[in-house]
Amino acid sequence: MKIQIKDETFILHPSGAVFWESKKIIIISDVHLGKVTHFRKYGIAIPQNAISENFRKITDVLDYFEPEKIIFLGDLFHSSKNAEWDLFEKWLSNHNQETYLITGNHDIIDEKHYKSISVIVIEMLEIEGFFFTHHPTEKDNLFNFSGHIHPGIILRGLGLQSLKLRCFFQKPNQMILPAFGEFTGKFILKPKSDHHIFAIAGNEVIMINKNN
Amino acid sequence: MNREQLFTIANNWFKSQGWKPFPFQTQTWTAFLQGKNGLLNAPTGSGKTYALWLPIILNYIKENPNYKTKHNSGLKAIWITPLRSLSVEIKQAAERVLTDLDIPMTVGIRSGDTSATERAKQKDKMPDLLITTPESLQLLLATKGYANTFKNCSSIVIDEWHELLGTKRGVQIELALSRLKKIAENLRIWGISATIGNLQQAQEVLLGVESEAYQNSVLIKAVIHKKIKVVSIIPEKMDTYPWRGHMGLHLIDEVAKIIKASKTTLIFTNVRSACEIWYQRLLEKYPEFAGEMAMHHGSIDRETRLWVENAIRNEELKVVVCTSSLDLGVDFAPVESIIQVGGPKGVARFMQRAGRSGHQPGKESVIYFLATHAIELIEASALKKAVENSVIEDRIPYLNSWDVLVQYLNTLAVSDGFYPNEIFKQIQGTFSYQTITTENWNWILNFITQGSQSLHAYDEFKKVEIDENGCYKINSRMIAMHHRMQIGTIVGDAVMNVKYVSGGYIGTIEEWFISKLKPGDTFIFAGKKLELFKIRNMQVLVKKASPKKESKIASWMGGRLALSSQMSELLRKELYRANTDNLSAELKVLQPLFQRQRKESIVPSSDEFLIETFKTREGFHAIFYPFEGRFVHEALASLLAFRISLLQSITFSLAYNDYGFELLSDQEINIEAVLDNNLFSTEYVHHDLQKSLNSTEMARRKFRDIAVISGLVFTGFPGKMVKTKHLQSGSQLLFEVFRDFEPDNLLLHQAYRETFEHQLEEGRLILALERIANQKIIWKQCLKPTPFSFPIITDRLREKLSSETLAERIQKMTASYMK
Repeated sequence: MKIQIKDETFILHPSGAVFWESKKIIIISDVHLGKVTHFRKYGIAIPQNAISENFRKITDVLDYFEPEKIIFLGDLFHSSKNAEWDLFEKWLSNHNQETYLITGNHDIIDEKHYKSISVIVIEMLEIEGFFFTHHPTEKDNLFNFSGHIHPGIILRGLGLQSLKLRCFFQKPNQMILPAFGEFTGKFILKPKSDHHIFAIAGNEVIMINKNN
Repeated sequence: MNREQLFTIANNWFKSQGWKPFPFQTQTWTAFLQGKNGLLNAPTGSGKTYALWLPIILNYIKENPNYKTKHNSGLKAIWITPLRSLSVEIKQAAERVLTDLDIPMTVGIRSGDTSATERAKQKDKMPDLLITTPESLQLLLATKGYANTFKNCSSIVIDEWHELLGTKRGVQIELALSRLKKIAENLRIWGISATIGNLQQAQEVLLGVESEAYQNSVLIKAVIHKKIKVVSIIPEKMDTYPWRGHMGLHLIDEVAKIIKASKTTLIFTNVRSACEIWYQRLLEKYPEFAGEMAMHHGSIDRETRLWVENAIRNEELKVVVCTSSLDLGVDFAPVESIIQVGGPKGVARFMQRAGRSGHQPGKESVIYFLATHAIELIEASALKKAVENSVIEDRIPYLNSWDVLVQYLNTLAVSDGFYPNEIFKQIQGTFSYQTITTENWNWILNFITQGSQSLHAYDEFKKVEIDENGCYKINSRMIAMHHRMQIGTIVGDAVMNVKYVSGGYIGTIEEWFISKLKPGDTFIFAGKKLELFKIRNMQVLVKKASPKKESKIASWMGGRLALSSQMSELLRKELYRANTDNLSAELKVLQPLFQRQRKESIVPSSDEFLIETFKTREGFHAIFYPFEGRFVHEALASLLAFRISLLQSITFSLAYNDYGFELLSDQEINIEAVLDNNLFSTEYVHHDLQKSLNSTEMARRKFRDIAVISGLVFTGFPGKMVKTKHLQSGSQLLFEVFRDFEPDNLLLHQAYRETFEHQLEEGRLILALERIANQKIIWKQCLKPTPFSFPIITDRLREKLSSETLAERIQKMTASYMK
């Protein structure tokens, strides 16, 4: 789904990524790599195949948009360095985009490790009126892209129907991205009248109707 | 000492108490002293405790002739009770005999309430007689050197076995016994059970299929005829009777009359919130009961509960409002009347409650039944029939509970480790795992050692490790600690402790309820009006609230009970009588309701199957009335919804109660197509149900418990801060990950299987479909909801099923925005 913000075009992708068309930047939030391995290390048998799914998804998105830059909006890794780091390193070596990591609360892996694989680690990033952080942040005259919350939405309809979906959550000066990673939960938000919701329904992103 | 001499000791002791042993007691003594195992079928309050304590003590005397002077220490007997609150009572009973007979044996309790110092002391020196719970027994198996502790144990008694059978705690006991049989060579195994339909099976589950222990066992029945009288509380005017449940508070004055007329009355409600409300309303309307009234339910602080139990015994209370928390155990002689609020859903439970009153020999037990809504009155007259004909349900044991097995193997790995060949043999001998295959076993072993993967270079899975001798062990201290914290099979909603800011513990409350409140809000809990001050470290800090403030009444999710098949059959028969002249008192009272029902629709007879359709603001309703009980309706609703969804692209929301079920949709449901296509057919039932399960949430919900029991979800100590937030995840999320990435996982399969066997009861479903096939279908297109439909359509706990695409559905839906 294409949307316009400050005369710039952004594509909301059903994977949870956002593509900034003119700048050829792909924005991805809350992948939580290493979560499965972290659980397994403590004796909790989460299926390992879920790991490769994360990498497959990122690869698909990159192949589709062919971006020049990648911005990870924090929580790239779930916890400390583990075997999934090696997979990430290997994966990254096959991609030559300039890669940024905005640090999130889960990003506790030392910067020097990222440096060694040419990932630029910073707390925030500003590009031509747009402002990228992990936690949703308000700043004068800047439009903020962020993650952290893992937004979700509840829809209701006739016949007592309801649905819970991951979503992109847009406020007047802010866009909160859904969690990109497999095996991550969602937090249900209640929108206000000046918010826009773009829900992820399988392979589609759908703008949600407001009631009243 | 020979048996005669031993019996003289026992008989003399009975005489000194002014009692005479019942035949079932002496039969049990004899069998026990002959070295037999067995199952004793005796109700609460019959003297069952002494039927087994005495021979245990006599056996010690026999083996230690100089017992008065020389104490031979070490664990000799274990008494398992499902409720730790009962252990004090059992301990007192044992100590009474020991003191009177001047035997220097010690009795100890070990449960979740036992202090760490006490437990450490027991570790050094076990009491002779240990009273404990199924969970604490597992914890003992998780202790290093446990084989030594149990080596000389000569008896184990499982009290209230009927309560454990049919639950995963029962499976836990089966597994523990399979191990204890091997390490304690002379172990006698005894169970005590109230009357259930499948007593013989209960005996087999306890002792093991075709086992040596089972061959050498007896079933002893206490023949105690107790008269039970069932009285319905019927209001004088029927027009005011609500169509759906309102707690039955409209009959509060009738209840007060009963309370005033008896020494002590127990009021049983089905859920804790109803218990809170009844207590509150009685106090408001009859302030004179203050001081003589108390409340008892599972979330109230243990000290308070013990106080209430003692106060009942000492005749200090006039009335106690309670839940199933007072179903078991201890005798309350002063109790004269029992009031059951709302349908008890099962005959066994109802009779057990009735048995709480009139404990004096020969006295009749009286139980008053208070129907909370009109149709429940039919249940009342069905219950009367059930009591007259002594119809008792079975308790169905769990089979192949992989989650419990995984937990048990980890338990063994935490303590001294285990050798698979040895344990596999022991497990095969249990009832639950009698059909386990080598393939299943290897999967389980792989699951605990490699996280159900083949070895990968980069995998860091670590749980059970295999040492050079082939012994399976957990070496990581942290993993061992996590495991010990999680032992158990009762999975509840996350609970938080409620405490006064000034100190003082009140009880526990479910997190979801508290999460709806803000500081300053008031709520009623444990009969007290409380103001939420703040939530800190998983503790809810409260202050006393001003009595005038408006407040919510605490509620708990709790399982909903469903009518047993025996009860549903009686209920149907009773209802069919509504069209005859042969009306019970309850049915007569319901005449105005039947008239309303007949105005829009019909009251079905035995050869008719009723379907009603109508439209309301909520959408298009179709209500079906099989009168088969909630579980069967749950299955029927999913089955039918699934089959209709193949005919048209449609989304349903499903609701059910014990009488019928509803399919609700935003589009009209084509009933003609349902009838023309024979959608009630028994063909492909299994296949269709399986398919429908994938589109509903039922298996997902079952998986939650399985994930916790097998250690996939880490919960930590209840009420304590979990410091390992990085290891927490929702079971919903887990379910999806397994479904998508490891569909052959046995634990995932178990979720589906349990839904089939314990939730949907496929067997009963097929019988119901066959019955419906012989009935004439009556389809009534009504203008508005009928009295029969009302309790169903107002139910908000609903299941969903859809054959529309997500996008199609989203187009028709909206999100509600805050202003």
